[in-house]
Amino acid sequence: MAMKAWVPAAGPFAQLQREMNRVFDSVFGRHFQPVGRIRAGYVYPPTNVRETDDAYTVQCEVPGLEMADLEVYVTGDQLTVSGSRTSTVPEEEVTLHRRERDAGRFSRAVTLPAPVDSSGTEATLADGILTVRIPKTEEAKPKRVEVHVGD
Amino acid sequence: MTKPIDVAVETNHDPLEPPESYFVPATDVYETADELTLVAEMPGIKADGLAVTVEDNVLVIRGKPGAKSEAGGEVLLKEFTAGEFYRAFQLPADYDTEKMEAGLRQGVLTLRLPRSERLKPRRIEVKVE
Repeated sequence: MAMKAWVPAAGPFAQLQREMNRVFDSVFGRHFQPVGRIRAGYVYPPTNVRETDDAYTVQCEVPGLEMADLEVYVTGDQLTVSGSRTSTVPEEEVTLHRRERDAGRFSRAVTLPAPVDSSGTEATLADGILTVRIPKTEEAKPKRVEVHVGD
Repeated sequence: MTKPIDVAVETNHDPLEPPESYFVPATDVYETADELTLVAEMPGIKADGLAVTVEDNVLVIRGKPGAKSEAGGEVLLKEFTAGEFYRAFQLPADYDTEKMEAGLRQGVLTLRLPRSERLKPRRIEVKVE
């Protein structure tokens, strides 16, 4: 489920697309390919969730946002990331040629499959990607059960 | 659906040629009286993976993610993939590409090109003899 328009490597369509790319984007003109994220079924921010034995790692693509623009909450087994994107385009005395970056408030919740320890949650923001590490509760961590061979 | 990019292999692409597979950064482009500004979203790209070139008034933006840009573990949900960004723009002739300024912050590249001095509106003082 890629949320951005991925230009594939092979195939006739990709070949056509490369031909079209030779007709460069003009900063004032039309473009010939989808940009940023595909609009159908669009959810913001695009999110990846990974699981290790100890924790869940949730990553969100939030380019341009600072930590002060973001609110990250863990409530029960749910992580909520919300915030506000503001446009960098000046409002006055400007000629706008392209506006492809979105602005506005957003909120997204992710329900985690096992109980988590909200107090141990750490959030970092680097290069426009928010990474939230949420440890599992001790009870939710996998335990190796020693199997004793009976006599 | 998507394929990982092997960033360890250095490609010898012509900077104007797009890479085999890439994402197109969402970009705002606007003009004020003094300058042209492009703001491009390239999440996951660090300054050392970024290349901005201008040749024959064609601006090319490329960004490669670092080798370790994704978290480890079993994937439960995957909505984005680390990959290369590429986009080329034909620039209008009336901006000074030599004086272009580039800044990268939180995955957003901002390029500012000042309008060429000779094209700025200039008021001619009329002297009364």
